[in-house]
Amino acid sequence: MANSTRTRRASNKSGQDSRSAVAESEFRALLDAAVDAIIVIDHRGLIEEFSLAAERIFGYPAEEVVGRNVTVLMPEPFQGEHDRYMDNYALTGEQRIIGVGREVRARRKDGSSFPCDLAVGRVGGREPPRFVGIIRDITQRKLAEELLRRSESELRLAQELANLGNYVVHLDGSEPDYFSPQLYRILGNEVGTEIVQLSDYFEQWVHPADVDRLRDAFRDMDETQGSLDVEYRVLLRDGSTKHLHHIAQTVYDAAGQPARHIGTMHDVTDRRHAEDEARQLQDRLTHFARLSTMGEMAAGLAHEINQPLSAIATYAQACQRMMKLPDHDPADVLGALQQINSQALRAGEVIRRLRNFVKNREVTREPVDCARLLEDLRTLAETDARLHNVWLRIESEGELPTVYADPIQLQQVILNLVRNAIDAMADVPEHRREVVLSTRQTEDGEVEITVADHGTGLAPEATEHLFSAFFTTKSGGTGLGLAISRSIVRAHGGRLWHTPNEGSGARFHFTLPVASAANGE
Amino acid sequence: MIKETKPTVFVVDDDAAVRDSLRMLLKSVGLPVEVFESGQEFLDAERDDRPGCLVLDIRMPGMSGLELQVKLNERHSILPIIFITGHGDVPMAVEAMQAGAVDFIQKPFRDQDLLDRINQGLEKDAGSRRMLAERNMIRKRLESLTPREREVLDLVVAGKANKVIAGDLNLSQRTVEIHRARVMEKMEAHSLAHLVRMVLEVERPDE
Repeated sequence: MANSTRTRRASNKSGQDSRSAVAESEFRALLDAAVDAIIVIDHRGLIEEFSLAAERIFGYPAEEVVGRNVTVLMPEPFQGEHDRYMDNYALTGEQRIIGVGREVRARRKDGSSFPCDLAVGRVGGREPPRFVGIIRDITQRKLAEELLRRSESELRLAQELANLGNYVVHLDGSEPDYFSPQLYRILGNEVGTEIVQLSDYFEQWVHPADVDRLRDAFRDMDETQGSLDVEYRVLLRDGSTKHLHHIAQTVYDAAGQPARHIGTMHDVTDRRHAEDEARQLQDRLTHFARLSTMGEMAAGLAHEINQPLSAIATYAQACQRMMKLPDHDPADVLGALQQINSQALRAGEVIRRLRNFVKNREVTREPVDCARLLEDLRTLAETDARLHNVWLRIESEGELPTVYADPIQLQQVILNLVRNAIDAMADVPEHRREVVLSTRQTEDGEVEITVADHGTGLAPEATEHLFSAFFTTKSGGTGLGLAISRSIVRAHGGRLWHTPNEGSGARFHFTLPVASAANGE
Repeated sequence: MIKETKPTVFVVDDDAAVRDSLRMLLKSVGLPVEVFESGQEFLDAERDDRPGCLVLDIRMPGMSGLELQVKLNERHSILPIIFITGHGDVPMAVEAMQAGAVDFIQKPFRDQDLLDRINQGLEKDAGSRRMLAERNMIRKRLESLTPREREVLDLVVAGKANKVIAGDLNLSQRTVEIHRARVMEKMEAHSLAHLVRMVLEVERPDE
């Protein structure tokens, strides 16, 4: 291929050239060795030399362009401009490009254009002057730049959409720290105005209630050389609060020294608010279901309070009569008075349990002793059972462990199941109306609570919708009981299901994980 | 007038405090009282058909008050029942009254109201026992009659004159008069009207 160049260049020889053959061959070698295209033009813009690289880049053989105006290598509008540059330079000697270099577009033989860096030099010591142009095809670089620019803007957009910011803190100070624009926005700062120093972060940003937790998380990360994954609140300058999900990691250098701290902060405020609202709604619904359960049990409760009241009245009247007797035994009167006292307490206890049960309150998680729970529940459950002439049997198998739960919600679930069991036996002869509430610890270590009845059992079409809200087979039911019971049990990490009872009726079971030492404290 | 056993007030209530307070109240007015915590316990007790009355809680687990009433009726018990009911138990109370209860009383109650009802119940019990005793006595007297005397009695009660009876039974009028005198004597009747009343007493359709 070198031969073709030689041929055409030989034809270009003017003969007036005083250069030695050696200098000529050196110049040629230089010209052809260069990776960038080298083009020499005269003062009119006519091409004199066209290097091998120029042939490759522009797609022209040298002989096709030598002697033609260099503008053939330029797309519009550069062609016209070039003529004006040349004229201008000739007139004023003003250099627009020489020695400076600029980015322009060039045109290949096939008419396509490409971006290039152009450097122009004047060949000195000759009049009229000649110019040498060095052209580098920067298509690949431009492409890479464009890709980089696009991926940066996409990343920025993605961070904006996800409301997620990232940062890199160079602990060794080797490079400036980086905080993404979205991170500034999340923290309510103008981009670039203030670098968040990690040391200030705890004091100036983190919600006081969460500082210790976050410090612990950082300490754990450092000690285990692991990562950090923590959700906490920050207080912004404008007084608002945000929930951040912070994931971070420390990168260590070869010597094992912490080098960089990289992390992302995800603004999860909206999600948290939505969760809070959903939870509040659920809590209200749960409370509503509790109230309606109580409503259904109102007659039984009235009865339950009436019992001690009538005992009190009768004891008091008996006392009055006894004391009028000349030979009455003071011990009898004393006994009656003691009974009056304990019956008053009994009535108060019913009311206390009732109030606890229907009170609208924060949902808690606390260690709950199962045996104690059943004892607290007994009064309310038995009340309802008695009213419907149902025999309630409570059976506990062995020692019952402690669960980590909301005690009132657990009572709600059990009462709801007991109520359903009682209602299921409305058409059963009275001597067969028995509900068994049993508890045991399963092989998996869970607590299983079962409520069994001898009622009509579950029709196949009923089992399908059993846990759907507002599905009810009772005339006065809300249809919330089982749906809410199941969501309560699930929120406690347990399961709620049913099986047919031996003989007749249904059994409803639910499990609760036993409190471990870790979450039980 | 008949064999004198002091009547007892039986109390059946599953609530220990209510039961105990009733026991104390009744004791304070000098009434013998026995308490039971379930209908079954009451049925199983050896009461030897003692006189008295029953104070019965209408709501109880297992056997309810109403169920116990049914069982007692099946056993032809004449024990008067006073039901103790709660506020919302009016329909059940009505059912109890239809099944023959003396009365019902809502909790909580004034002691005098309960005692009045108990006294009423005891009177009713004494009355029925008197009546039963009388019937038994009449039946014994009737059993002491010879078949011929019984025939004469039936015709006398049917309102027939001696002459007609003599004709019906193919006896002399004199013989009828002798039988009739024997009947009056054995039945300890003061008058013809008394005799008729005694026979009707034991031979009512519902007996």
